[in-house]
Amino acid sequence: MIRRAIPVATALALALTACGQQAASPQQQQQQGAGGAPKLELRTVTAPATGELDKVTWNLPYEPQTVDPIRSFNYAENTVLANMCESLLRLTPEFGIEPGLAEKADNPSPTTWVYTIRDGVKFWDGTPLTAEDVAASLNRHLDPALGTWWGDYFHTVESIKATGPMQVTVTLKQPDVLFNQAMASAAGAIVSAEYAKKKDLGSPTGGVMCTGPYKYESWKSGDSLTIKRNDAYWDTALRPKTKELVFRFIADETTAVNALRSGEVDGQYFYLPPAGLGQLQQSTTGSVTLGKSLTFWTLLGAAKTGPYADPKVRQALSLALDRAAISKVVFQGTAVPQRTLAGAEYWGYQRDAFQKAYDALPPETPDLAKAKQLLTEAGSPTQTITIGIQGSSAVHEQTANLIKATGEALGLKIEIKVIPVEQYGNLYSDPKAREGIDAFFSTWYGNVPDPLDIYTVFLAGSRTNFNDYAAVDADIKKARAAYDETERAALVTTIQQKVTADVPWMPLNNLPVILYMNKRVTGAVASFPYLYYPWAAGLGAA
Amino acid sequence: MRFLAKRLAGLIVVLLVASFLVYGLLYLVPGGPMAFLLGNRSGTPEQVAAIRAQYHLDDPFLLRYAAWLRDAVTGDFGTSLVYRQDVSALMASRATTTAFLVVYATLLIVAGGVAMGLLAGLRGGKADGAVSLISSVFLATPPFVIGVILVIVFALGLGWFPVFGPGNGFGDRIHHLTLPAITLSLASAAFLARITRASVSEELGREHVETARSRGLAEGHIVRRHVLRNAAIPVVTVVGLNVAGLIAGSVVVESIFALDGLGSLFVRAILQRDFAIVQAVVLVLVTAFVLINLVVDLCYSALDPRLSRQ
Repeated sequence: MIRRAIPVATALALALTACGQQAASPQQQQQQGAGGAPKLELRTVTAPATGELDKVTWNLPYEPQTVDPIRSFNYAENTVLANMCESLLRLTPEFGIEPGLAEKADNPSPTTWVYTIRDGVKFWDGTPLTAEDVAASLNRHLDPALGTWWGDYFHTVESIKATGPMQVTVTLKQPDVLFNQAMASAAGAIVSAEYAKKKDLGSPTGGVMCTGPYKYESWKSGDSLTIKRNDAYWDTALRPKTKELVFRFIADETTAVNALRSGEVDGQYFYLPPAGLGQLQQSTTGSVTLGKSLTFWTLLGAAKTGPYADPKVRQALSLALDRAAISKVVFQGTAVPQRTLAGAEYWGYQRDAFQKAYDALPPETPDLAKAKQLLTEAGSPTQTITIGIQGSSAVHEQTANLIKATGEALGLKIEIKVIPVEQYGNLYSDPKAREGIDAFFSTWYGNVPDPLDIYTVFLAGSRTNFNDYAAVDADIKKARAAYDETERAALVTTIQQKVTADVPWMPLNNLPVILYMNKRVTGAVASFPYLYYPWAAGLGAA
Repeated sequence: MRFLAKRLAGLIVVLLVASFLVYGLLYLVPGGPMAFLLGNRSGTPEQVAAIRAQYHLDDPFLLRYAAWLRDAVTGDFGTSLVYRQDVSALMASRATTTAFLVVYATLLIVAGGVAMGLLAGLRGGKADGAVSLISSVFLATPPFVIGVILVIVFALGLGWFPVFGPGNGFGDRIHHLTLPAITLSLASAAFLARITRASVSEELGREHVETARSRGLAEGHIVRRHVLRNAAIPVVTVVGLNVAGLIAGSVVVESIFALDGLGSLFVRAILQRDFAIVQAVVLVLVTAFVLINLVVDLCYSALDPRLSRQ
């Protein structure tokens, strides 16, 4: 078993710096980077727990829709599920991929992946994990009627079969490196085959049956979801320190911040800074940790006609934008300006190659003169550009206002269209909802440490290639088939360069994980893999 | 008996019309539940087709409405599209929270409003001025402001009450729902105080009270038998109207205090086009409205038998 244990010394150092951080004001936490942008101390872990706890209460940003892995592709769902259902591979807090329920993954031919299932693993009900369970779980993604949310990773799959008692073979239509990596996310989560036949799987009445360190206990719809320690968990290194974890669903930010400050709730992960972030940072009952993340703040292009369909116009707007201002004003100093969509945390291989390619790109500081010149070259368009923003979100509104002001300084007319939060999701899935919208904001994230995971959205015909951007289609196909990392890195950096120059999606800021924990508790994973890794296993008494 | 039968028939007609209107209006609004059924990022055309067929999203409006109605008559309110769970199960615990909150708030409104109104009406002078001032402040402050202030003072500051949640068990529920119930009741209590004060003063000046006084009857007897009884009719009307309004007003309070009530479920379901939930909640709300009106009518007849003889 490959396991990257954190050496005691490192953990201690982290603990010490974490303590020091508590006393510092938010401003002191940030060193000033280039162009006045904040340079943040981003972590992957928090100080280790010193003892066990009977119960920890944790808040989710909203109530999960389900705990069925195939429909768990969002913050609240995965935060819970990550502690219950394990995947074939495991995404570590340091963004590595290591064996999970599969002891090893072999790749005998470019279109075959063979997974050897770990021996001696049991579901919570005591039945042993077999290849049949694994094949059944993965095959659920291929049944259109079940409506998987992970379809992007299964488009290349031809068949998934148990080829031995402890062996599963996946045959692909074409070579695909992302398929295997996705097995480290909830896409590769394994549910008992027998249990998965239940019609209400994943609902408050149906629950779920997995192998993870915590087991499903109860879900009182609208109120709370409880999970309990699995005392028979196979991986003794990740045996939970807390017996019971109760999740609440306080969606109202002010109420959530109050509940955290009063200590009624022990912790929460935020994906956007809440309006009361300052109160949390100054709280005497707990502290905020910023974690490394795969999430980024971006303006998704959706225009097929009009000025925003012209790469030069997009480039001009992108060049003129003051990303450091967005970071300071909108994200209260917690986000780092980005010049590419996929940030440094995605560089799971060939780091040097990616670093070099990143440094060669134009910096994220504004260049108004060049932007104006580009607009003149584009024929100084006079038509209005419409940006869709999510209603009742300060982050959306403030960023849109900054972009609007930037556009006005350049001579671009920008209009803002507010869309209610519950309908905002339609923009992603329904072309009709996107009519008349040239661009809209998103907190997008990839799931695996490979920039290709992000750029693959620009495949021709992909449902998320909203403006039919076609320049990198062939390169993406080649890169997905490139199992050799050097070759893949070369292809991916080429894709990145084109995408960055053409701005089909505009990179804005990298969004860290914002973790708040009460002083009483510590040990939670601070980085983005909390969505797929049993982040609460280390959670215990401070 | 005939009175009750007539009211029940009326209730069924109102329910039918309301459910049809809501079902139809939801159809007219753009956007569908697909985003919630398939997530934001994936979904092949085959998948979309399979899901649409599974949930009958392509059936004509009248067919879907008829199918829903058929099931509803048998007590089956269908399955939530978004949560893929029985609507009745989703509503059960939430209805308890909302009912608890509304009853609690009603008690506060009646006790507080009537007490303040009587004080102002019977005592007059400084008491009247004070009640009038307090009720103006309560009437003018929106519930969300009151809620936030109560949380800051009594939950975060003094630590007397919890910040959120509905609680478990009777005592714990009372503890948890006190701040929400106060938030919900202040404006209505203030309004009721004004109505009570006005009708008490009016009754005090009426001829039969003067007559009773001149006959030398005890003041307490006069107030109980001649003033309160007659003043109660407008008070009951206002209480009835307010309680019906509380059900709608609870939405704001439920969100401030993170309560799992019907109101928050309803709003979310409308925005997500979760037809089955919207339907069921509308039925519950309309039924509650009609039943409250019925209770008000019954109170009228108890207070003044002449009213039911018409």
